[in-house]
Amino acid sequence: MNTQTLNGSSETLGEVQLECKDLAYSYSASHVIFKDINIKTYTDELVAIVGPSGTGKSTLIRVLANLIPPTAGHVFLNGTEVKTPSSRISLVHQSIATFPWMTSLDNVKIVLRNKVKDDEATEIAKKMITLVGLQGHEDDYPKEMSGGMRQRIAIARALAASPTIMLMDEPFVHLDELTANTLRGDIYSILFNPENELKSVILVSHNLHEVVQLADRVYVMGGTPAQIINEIKIDLPRPRLEEEPVFYEYVKMLYNDLIPKESKG
Amino acid sequence: MELGIIALATLASLGRVLALILLSIVSGWFLSYFAIKSRKFENIYISFVNIFESIPVIGFLPIVLVVFITGLGGTLGVEVAADFLVFDAIVWNIWIGQYQAFKTIPQPLIEVSENYNFGWWGKMKSLYIPFSYPRVSSDIFPSFADALFYIMISEVFSVGITSYKAFGIGTLIVQATSVGDLNSVYECLGVLAIGVVVITLAFGNFSKYAVAKYGLNTSTEIKRHVRYWRPHIRKWRAVGSPTFQFAQYTTKMRTGRENIQSAMTKVRTSRSFERTGKYIGTAIAWLFLVFIGYSSIQVMLSVPHSLWVSYFAQTPNLLYQMGIDYVRVLVVTVISFVFAVSLGYYLAVHRRVSIASLPIIQTISAFPAPAYFPLVFAATAPFLAHVIPFAETEIFVMILCFLGTFYYVFFGFWVGVRAIPVEFLELTQNYKIGFFTKMRRIIIPATFPYLVTGLSSTINSAWGGLAVAEYWPNIFGNQTLQVHTGMMKVISAGLVNGNIGLAAWTSLLFAVVVGVYSIVFTRNLMDLARKKYVIEEGIYAA
Repeated sequence: MNTQTLNGSSETLGEVQLECKDLAYSYSASHVIFKDINIKTYTDELVAIVGPSGTGKSTLIRVLANLIPPTAGHVFLNGTEVKTPSSRISLVHQSIATFPWMTSLDNVKIVLRNKVKDDEATEIAKKMITLVGLQGHEDDYPKEMSGGMRQRIAIARALAASPTIMLMDEPFVHLDELTANTLRGDIYSILFNPENELKSVILVSHNLHEVVQLADRVYVMGGTPAQIINEIKIDLPRPRLEEEPVFYEYVKMLYNDLIPKESKG
Repeated sequence: MELGIIALATLASLGRVLALILLSIVSGWFLSYFAIKSRKFENIYISFVNIFESIPVIGFLPIVLVVFITGLGGTLGVEVAADFLVFDAIVWNIWIGQYQAFKTIPQPLIEVSENYNFGWWGKMKSLYIPFSYPRVSSDIFPSFADALFYIMISEVFSVGITSYKAFGIGTLIVQATSVGDLNSVYECLGVLAIGVVVITLAFGNFSKYAVAKYGLNTSTEIKRHVRYWRPHIRKWRAVGSPTFQFAQYTTKMRTGRENIQSAMTKVRTSRSFERTGKYIGTAIAWLFLVFIGYSSIQVMLSVPHSLWVSYFAQTPNLLYQMGIDYVRVLVVTVISFVFAVSLGYYLAVHRRVSIASLPIIQTISAFPAPAYFPLVFAATAPFLAHVIPFAETEIFVMILCFLGTFYYVFFGFWVGVRAIPVEFLELTQNYKIGFFTKMRRIIIPATFPYLVTGLSSTINSAWGGLAVAEYWPNIFGNQTLQVHTGMMKVISAGLVNGNIGLAAWTSLLFAVVVGVYSIVFTRNLMDLARKKYVIEEGIYAA
């Protein structure tokens, strides 16, 4: 499959970070969720995965994180096969998961416990909290924060683990539109800030505007069982503005891939 | 002993328990309805149930003996006394469960019933009663187990040289063990086991049916305000997956709508205070209060003034004995906790093993430990007397307490772990959080509300275990199991020796301490659990 762009341009991509080969997952022999999934992410790249509901996008990223073992296929991180869950591949959940009895700082520090000294853990956690724009809220509890702030804490926690890859499962879906927009505007610079070691991000989303706004490349899933049916490179400069006609062109291209064939006529 | 008699006695005991469960359920519907409609009644009712739930059955024995045995007298008196003791073991758990179910009915459903003028009975029939089925279906398990645990006490009690017996399997077991008739004991236990398994399976099926038909799905929003975090709330939610699902949605809390719902509840309450429900609820509540008050006065009057003075003088010693018992309760609780946290966690994260083993644990839990304990005693007493003669009795007391109580905290913790949202478990895997950090910082805090409720139930039931084990005359043949020091021994021995006044005074002291303990310690711990350690609140999905 060739990578599709609007203008047909192509460029050399960087070093491969995460790669999956012939990945498949099924509940039973007759209930295959997806199969033959081949995905690559490159350095400093945000890759989105889109697809209709039920195609197993959330399952796919759990398989990539090895939280669920694949039925077939392999996942490689920097050329080494991933066989157990690893904090080098961090997952940010759709349901914003923060521990209610821990302060923001403790929520971030939990991933560093027993790995670095407490002082160092505090320092890293504070740095990550600052990175996500929540300095001054270190001692706040999640219930004292808005949904957007809580998701920033979840992202700070994921970053504190020094991941190479971050997997984001519809991270803005539970936020109100205004909060989600603000966070979308900030997220790219947060993720690819030189302060952290993150190399690439995989984002699962239903929101095509969000995908066009954030992604460098998009994998489109479809069919039953689901497979990668298209790969689109979003060749737009940042910051990307929704008002620009070319932005809508990409949204339309994705939309056309997602609607069932019989509906297109 | 004839098998026919044993079967009949089993039917009598189990029938008594089932009939009283039914009575508890029906009366609980009215009381719960009244409680949610009247703030004043709710405050009194919940405090009353909370304290009485903490008092083991034996605490009621003095009242029972005076009012029913000496008041009513004859076979009827003994039967009503037995029924009252079984009722006491059953009722609190079910009543509070129904109250909680009524308090968590989703606001939209209540609005529909208001909107279309269902009327009082229409609401009860179409909304409140059906909605309580899943909760009732899970609460009857611990009630059934509690009733059977006290089967020996409730069917057979002695005052001095007079022994009172209600017909039932507990009586037959006591008779057989006291004369060392092992064959009859085995036969009784065998028939009782069949009955327990049949009823446990029936309850299990009812639970699945109730949750499948009357349970809401987990995304349904519920009202939040429940005035009391019931110790037993989730201890048997572990009955099966449908019940577990029910437990999950009852714990879901949505803070955003809290104020609106609270305001709407006030409007609804003032608008629809149906008189019928009020009168029935009031009548039942008054009946119970009058009975307790009358019984207490009867007990006081039956004891001469001079004896009361001597009982008062013994109070410091009784409090010391209570302290010793608290140490025993603490030891049993710690053992149960360690057992729960280790095995409970293992089963919660190994689903296949839990599917196979939980029904077995559940059935064993429902089988009354005092029924087979004399056999354990007979088999191990000589060995223990030889190996640890200084602590032999304490070991037996601990074993009986543990057998009768461990499952509360065990199932509580198990359900708690299962209720942790998968996102958090994925986080612990994803970030490779070490086992002890995970337990200390995540799993135990996340299951804290379940642990508190489970531990609270374990503590309450441990008192019941002590009541049975600290003084057990003729436990096997002519042997008597008794501790040197212990308040429960004072109560049991007081009753057996005909010293009802001392038993009543000790029970009263115990009730006061348990009440204070419950208000000061348990409630505060539960408030802390509810305010700080609700893992579901960690998930933001507005």
